[in-house]
Amino acid sequence: MDFNYSDMQQMLLDSAGKLIADTYTLEDIRHQRTIANGLNEKNWAQFAELGWLALPIPEDAGGLGCGLEDVVVLSTALGRGLAVEPYVSTVVVGGHIVGALADEDARNALLGQVATGAARIALAHGEPGERFGDGGARSTQAVPSGNGFALTGRKMLVLDAPSATHIIVSATLDDGSMGLFLAPRDASGISDESYALVDGAAASDLFLDGVQVDAGALIASGSAAETLLSEASDRAAIALMAQAVGAMEGCNDVSAEYIKERKQFGQPIGKFQALQHIMADMFVSTHQARSMVYYALAHLDASPEDRQAAVSAAKVLVGTAAQLVSRSGIQLHGGYGVTDEYIVSHYYRRLLALEKLFGDIDHHVRRLAVHMFDRADA
Amino acid sequence: MHFELDPELQAFREEVRAFVRDNLPEDMKARQMAAGSIFCSHDDERAWAKILAKKGWQVYSWPVELGGCGWNAMKSFVFEDELYKGFAPPLSFNTLHMIGPIIYKLGSQEQKDHFLPLMRHGDVSWAQGFSEPGSGSDLASLRTRADLVGDKYVINGQKIWTSGAHEADWGFFLVKTDTTCKPQLGMSFLLVDMKTPGITVRTIPQINNDEHHLCEVFLENVEVPAGNLIGEAGKGWTYAKMLLEGERTGSSYIFWNKREMRRLLDMARAEKLNGNPIAQDPAFRARLAAIQAELTALEWSVLRVLADEEFTYGTAAASSVLKVRGSELQHAITEAQVDLIGEKSLRVYSVHDLLSDAGTLWPDHVVNRTNMALLTRAATIFGGAKQVQKNIIAKAAFGL
Repeated sequence: MDFNYSDMQQMLLDSAGKLIADTYTLEDIRHQRTIANGLNEKNWAQFAELGWLALPIPEDAGGLGCGLEDVVVLSTALGRGLAVEPYVSTVVVGGHIVGALADEDARNALLGQVATGAARIALAHGEPGERFGDGGARSTQAVPSGNGFALTGRKMLVLDAPSATHIIVSATLDDGSMGLFLAPRDASGISDESYALVDGAAASDLFLDGVQVDAGALIASGSAAETLLSEASDRAAIALMAQAVGAMEGCNDVSAEYIKERKQFGQPIGKFQALQHIMADMFVSTHQARSMVYYALAHLDASPEDRQAAVSAAKVLVGTAAQLVSRSGIQLHGGYGVTDEYIVSHYYRRLLALEKLFGDIDHHVRRLAVHMFDRADA
Repeated sequence: MHFELDPELQAFREEVRAFVRDNLPEDMKARQMAAGSIFCSHDDERAWAKILAKKGWQVYSWPVELGGCGWNAMKSFVFEDELYKGFAPPLSFNTLHMIGPIIYKLGSQEQKDHFLPLMRHGDVSWAQGFSEPGSGSDLASLRTRADLVGDKYVINGQKIWTSGAHEADWGFFLVKTDTTCKPQLGMSFLLVDMKTPGITVRTIPQINNDEHHLCEVFLENVEVPAGNLIGEAGKGWTYAKMLLEGERTGSSYIFWNKREMRRLLDMARAEKLNGNPIAQDPAFRARLAAIQAELTALEWSVLRVLADEEFTYGTAAASSVLKVRGSELQHAITEAQVDLIGEKSLRVYSVHDLLSDAGTLWPDHVVNRTNMALLTRAATIFGGAKQVQKNIIAKAAFGL
């Protein structure tokens, strides 16, 4: 076991740290919500230029062929910077699912576009009346039509859809199993209601009315599709947990800085042990959260059951840590903590989103308990 | 960055497991299963040490030339993990990590020649005399003094929380040899034969109303040969700090926590609520899942320290995290064990009761759970109280 960064990872982290320091100032972060589709084009171009979008993309598709551990290293920096670019949707989720496209030319072309920043992908899976995609068979239907399928249904809270060029749609096939389809975002028959999220990202509800796709758009079906979706979700969860760790570390640092400067009763409030112990609690939680990201990462190639259990345990712990850190950060800042003008409130909002995406604490507590108590081999 | 364990460790794990299965006496195992304490009886500790010594594993963490095994940190982790899993008596922390290293690193040739073989063969037990009635977290304030008179030190004072002092052969005491300088510069380490005249040991009745291993040691004109001084006079504080820094992960009690978590999960499958196993109750499931997540984080934080991660904030803060969360988990797990058995937690058992002594109508797993939970209240107190750990973290991580 080696928890230290490789030279390449250290370089990645250093270059990310530099860009984040220059490009993600409080003003930039406050500006984010004014961007209608949620995408800061200038930042996205920088991501592409620095090779970040190519990181886990296979080399024969023009990517760098790196592992998820490298994405995790980068993600800690993105999290610290409160970057809400559609990195996980496009590169981690999109990259993984599109990687299963049977047509090699089409697959490499799209992945190549992901690597250059030309393509952005959003996953349209959730539907009304459920949470975290837990509603069983998709209501969205894929009906054979022409040489392909017609997709009809409603998809809710499609993260990063407003800026996406492509969407991956889960739908129920004729035989009752699930299929995953690739469609251009501007395909005819798709309408949307788009909105901002609490952390400055953007999402859409998509209404699909007989959206025509050809046979090659079906990426996977049946158990292969379920497996692919589960893998992609777990990878996304890991990358987002790494962002959460970065955000917690950032929140801790600004909070410590603040209580060293803020004076009351004739001294910096950081001299008070009550506040020092709050900071110690924030540190302990953050440290444990980082351990759980490594733990989840270490189970990426385990059996599906073990991988899911590991991701769930990590989501429980990281989510709980995110809540403690972000809530304490505001408390330490006093009244300023609830203003938009101090970055701690932005950390709070981002950490709220990171706790909820791809399953919140309660969701993963239940999934972990199933693993602990209900597995036949337990 | 990679997270694979050396594949050879799996074979080693199985070797240790087989050794425990074949060599741990059934009655000893039964006592550990029932009590499950982080301590065990003097007799079991000595008997198990002898068994390990025969295999060459008794002082595994020592340097090879002194009888140690030369294992790296990960192999040692697997070793202790398997011993706990198999309900072997806990190893002597004093021998492995405290007085053993003090003597082989700092002791005189005479001290080494006398004590190291005894420890290697499991033939000596120790009492650690640090804390005093007026010196808990603030160890620098200790007052027990040793005055050099001719070729002897004369010790006067009082120690407390001295585990096992009533049965120990020897003690290693932190005492004041110079009261004129800064407190940290006037301390020394002395080895004391516990049979020396002037020593009175009183056992302290504990919260579980039962037998106890915590002691008070009264020292009145106790004469100790000057040759029993460890290293140099006045360096005791430095030596003590060095020892504590060398042992970075023990305070997590990770192996104990893992074993007691397994016990907890088994209890959840056996105990009934409304006629169904508690393992099916949503509230308990959620509670135990949250504990499981914390336990996993603790284990991986231990592994990060053992694998020598270069922390930007220094290893002291990372070690204090282990102490804070490790002790909180000891609470969480034992509290949940008590809550799982409901009102059955109220029956008093002796620490000598075995699982088979539960009572005609009582399930085995209730024996001693409450005893353990009561004794475990000390987890966030000894070895540097939780609040002291938080002070350390605030300073080390944030410069507060």
